Amino acid sequence: MKNRFWTLAVNPFERIAGMKALLWGVAAMAVSTVISCLSGWHYHGMLHFGPAPNNEWWVYAVEHLIVWLVPAVVFYIGGRTMSSSRIRVSDVFGTMAFAQIPLILMGMVSLLPPMQALNGITEANAMQAVTQPWFVAAMFLSLLVIVAVVMNVVWMYNALKVSCNLSGYRLRVFFIVAYIGCDVACRYMIGALY
Amino acid sequence: MKNEVKKYLPLQCPACSSSLRVGKMFCKECGTEVCGDFELPVLGRLTEKEAQFALDFVKASGSLKDMAKSMGLSYPTVRNILDNLIAKLNG
Repeated sequence: MKNRFWTLAVNPFERIAGMKALLWGVAAMAVSTVISCLSGWHYHGMLHFGPAPNNEWWVYAVEHLIVWLVPAVVFYIGGRTMSSSRIRVSDVFGTMAFAQIPLILMGMVSLLPPMQALNGITEANAMQAVTQPWFVAAMFLSLLVIVAVVMNVVWMYNALKVSCNLSGYRLRVFFIVAYIGCDVACRYMIGALY
Repeated sequence: MKNEVKKYLPLQCPACSSSLRVGKMFCKECGTEVCGDFELPVLGRLTEKEAQFALDFVKASGSLKDMAKSMGLSYPTVRNILDNLIAKLNG
């Protein structure tokens, strides 16, 4: 029972994919966009987050779309090229959208006062900030952010594995190369928004 | 009442892991034995779990959607099991 729970926590796509996953994922991204608007916490890429100069609501929405769609398109093309299975667009885009759900936790953590104070650190007040009591709390909360990001990466890996039926070294090599490439592409695309 | 032990058809040699073949068959009624070198039938080469999946797939008229629903799994997961099974049968 416990084992089953962990299997599903690591790879929910054994049970959910396609349109169902897409609807959950899009709903999660809408919630995450609202939380980001409230916290001022931007996506700079797939692994980079923090404050940014443009705080219009649509910037947050486009950041979320870029971080979802860029890897989804690359994974779909990779899957079509390398897999012998018949891949459905709804499975790739749906599982990739669902994989964004853990990032809601990151958004919620970024709403907390210590993380908000962390956003206000500049070069001028950096040394002073380190001595403040909220700084330790912010460091602990940052660990939660890391957990959310790691979970997001693991879910993306399993989304690719299940939706494209890839395994072995092909899956691992393609995921690493595609992930790094997509992160760079996302950073350029999001950078163009500011 | 005698306890019946469920036995599984061994598919691999326990010594060298090569695929096993059929060497001997017998009639349970009269004890007649047939010896020779026969290949296992295609479905006989599958594990019990794989054979059950193939049987369920036929019973579901080849509908992966129905299979996914009855197994409580997602569509691509069931499709992957089927594709891996096809690859095994072809290989």
